[in-house]
Amino acid sequence: MFLQPLDLTTALRPTLLPDEALLFVQDAVGLYEGKYKIPGLQNGHAYLTTHRACYVDNLEPRKSSIAVELKNVDRYEFYAGFLKSSAKITLHPKAPKRASIQSRSHSTISNTQRAAQSPSRSSTASPVQRGASPLLSSGSGSGTPRPSTATWVCTICSFSNPVPATFDPATANSNTPLPACVTCGVKPSFPHVLKASIANAAGRQGSQPQSHAPVQPLLESHGQYSENSSIEYIEAQWREESALPVKSRFQCPRCTFLNHPSLLACELCGAPLLSTESKAADVLGENIARPESPGPSLDSSSFGVDNEPECVKFSFRAGGEKIFHERLKGAMVQRKWLLQNAPPVPDFSAGNVGITAIGIDGQVRQPLERARTVGIAGLERQGLELRKKNEAVIGSAFEDLDALMLSAKEVVALAESFAKKSDEGSADANQLIVESAKALDMVTTKEMLGSSSGSESLYLSEMSRNLAEYLTDDAKGILRKEGGIMSLVDLWAVFNRARGGVELISPMEFEKAARLWEKLKLPVRLRQFKNGLLVVQQADRTDDKTIAQLLSLLQDLHTSSSSSEVGWGHEIFGRGITAQEAAQRFGWSVGVASEELEMAEEKGALCREEGIEGLRFWENWIVDDQSDDFDDDIKVDPFYEVDPVLKNLEDMGIF
Amino acid sequence: MAPQHSPPASAFTYPQSYSFPPFFTLQPNLQTRLSQLRKWSRLIQRYCRHEHIFKLSLVTALDTTLFKNASLRKRLSLNDALQVVDWMTRDEGGRRAEWIDGGVEANGGTVWVFWKRPEEWADVVASWVEETGQRNTVLTLYELMNGEMTVGQGMISREQRLDMSAHGMLDFHGMDAELFHRCLAVLVKRGKAQVFGSEDQQGVKFF
Repeated sequence: MFLQPLDLTTALRPTLLPDEALLFVQDAVGLYEGKYKIPGLQNGHAYLTTHRACYVDNLEPRKSSIAVELKNVDRYEFYAGFLKSSAKITLHPKAPKRASIQSRSHSTISNTQRAAQSPSRSSTASPVQRGASPLLSSGSGSGTPRPSTATWVCTICSFSNPVPATFDPATANSNTPLPACVTCGVKPSFPHVLKASIANAAGRQGSQPQSHAPVQPLLESHGQYSENSSIEYIEAQWREESALPVKSRFQCPRCTFLNHPSLLACELCGAPLLSTESKAADVLGENIARPESPGPSLDSSSFGVDNEPECVKFSFRAGGEKIFHERLKGAMVQRKWLLQNAPPVPDFSAGNVGITAIGIDGQVRQPLERARTVGIAGLERQGLELRKKNEAVIGSAFEDLDALMLSAKEVVALAESFAKKSDEGSADANQLIVESAKALDMVTTKEMLGSSSGSESLYLSEMSRNLAEYLTDDAKGILRKEGGIMSLVDLWAVFNRARGGVELISPMEFEKAARLWEKLKLPVRLRQFKNGLLVVQQADRTDDKTIAQLLSLLQDLHTSSSSSEVGWGHEIFGRGITAQEAAQRFGWSVGVASEELEMAEEKGALCREEGIEGLRFWENWIVDDQSDDFDDDIKVDPFYEVDPVLKNLEDMGIF
Repeated sequence: MAPQHSPPASAFTYPQSYSFPPFFTLQPNLQTRLSQLRKWSRLIQRYCRHEHIFKLSLVTALDTTLFKNASLRKRLSLNDALQVVDWMTRDEGGRRAEWIDGGVEANGGTVWVFWKRPEEWADVVASWVEETGQRNTVLTLYELMNGEMTVGQGMISREQRLDMSAHGMLDFHGMDAELFHRCLAVLVKRGKAQVFGSEDQQGVKFF
């Protein structure tokens, strides 16, 4: 199930999962499967979230909208576009089951071979690491989670170094001694290593191990990493490479040099090795298992959510592909979907000292084992350790912004637990934190959107959808509270307040966004009363419904009101209502009520009575011409002058 | 329901709308307003015929029951009444009224209320002449308006009136002199009468 059906909100945007955040939106996007366009999915919005890449069709959003879960994405490619061909981003699904078995057997074979070759030393080093290559992520096809040690990538030579086991992100500071890079000997910066270790901890218990998975078991089996092993490592690597079976190497078609399979260009002559087999070997046999050619054409019946597409392409016809690609890259690196089941707070020192950590849900977790210190001293120590721990998390979070992003979850958890602890009485502060956290979810910011020519309108339409979602959200019940109708100005104030002072919207943009509701067929609508007041109400709430509502109220008054008010045909005409009464009855504001009454009057359903007590509205008995008709010859009809010539003729008796 | 003409003191029956409070507020909605104006026009004409009124002064009429419903404690404001009557004077109101001495503002808004237009009165007079065999005789205007001959014109019973209305005969006894002049002028123009004599001693001969 690579392509999955997509749940949409009332405003026709993807429903976000908990923890999922919207990263980017781009309009005018089409979808391809392999080389072929998918019929019916050619004009829509692409939504990139931390968990998914979604396509929402413009014409039939409910029917043809799909999502690709990023965790099922093996790799993605960027195609910049050429002449009339638009820029595209291709998402390749993860290899199906049999391919992954194959790849696993492949790696075990090479492992055993390696072990046979150099039983004592080869395990110190990473076998085939060459910087960041697609190989890395595909190596994790075996789904079993493994305990791992963190690695940091050297900024100079991009070699993946292990983080020393003594390095504890909770206690380390910039004075902690750091080992230099194994290959180039340059010392890393402290935040860099810290980041790596936090990232590792975050991804540790997910289904997918960290990108440097092959290294980790080897390192663990070896135990402590020793600083003076760089020469040994290089030797080992050479041995490694020469030990690779000839078959798994790729011969350069130009110079016949036997290249390492992970190389994209010949090491010797630079000829591209991207052609057939090398490419296949590159992704560890994935493409061998799956034949290259799809059917000659893609008819609509063959396309479905169930069958596995070779790859899915997002075609960006109005730009925005670069930012999409960038954010996609970020999302693939961050792997927020793993956070869903992530351990609360990385507990690096759990092995040696038992401490109490604050869980994500604010609960206090008991350590696995505790030092046996009892009494006040024990309590004090416990408290001290807890403070230390929290200090470390906060300290590391603010070390730099990327690190903050990685430890966002911990920080939010901490903030929440602080808020809970601080005071039960200060519910306001608590509320504030909860609300601001919520507000973060619903913000449509300008930077989320494409920077193409239509970005202004895209921003507005996204804002418009955002607003509609906000209004129709049953949990908030904004409209219901206001009797199904509220003025645009009120909405603006409420909405901006809900945003918590971040990314406020200007009134002008707000009005523009509101005016788009009708065009986007959203479930709310903007109405203008004749005095210029703009109000917001549900789209299905028409004038006719309001009039029917008003009339039924007036009908009720025929019978219900007190019989003391005689003097006119009370039983016939009922009673008049004021705007205040209507407002009270329907929960409207008085301004809205009087506008609604006047609207009904304008439509002829009501008529007015101006009196000393104010304006009252009645059922319209005036237009009913029958009630006053008598059998007399009184004429009230328009007067038409008779043609004088005809009249003369008539008078003379001729006509 | 229908107005009772004999005895004349019999109460005027007001239409149902007269007890509908919004009837006394001029409606802003055009369609509603049109219906309202028609109803007012009908009411004013019926009232004037019942009371035998030819000239109506709005300022004084505002305090009569025509424009004032005491039980509702409602009345039509002067401004609204002017608008109603003004509508009556226009073509779309059937020209059932006419301002006297120029316009709305002058003379406290005095109007002719044409529950019969002068042309219609001319027909009535002509057929009365026909009925009573007064052709080619000379009659004074005073005779016609106040004389005994036409008394029955104003005092006929409803049954008679219904019967006679088939012939177009209705009460012009006690008609306003000025209006009667206009009515005769129509007949003269049609060549069915001739008016002669001086100011006070005018006579008319019907052909």
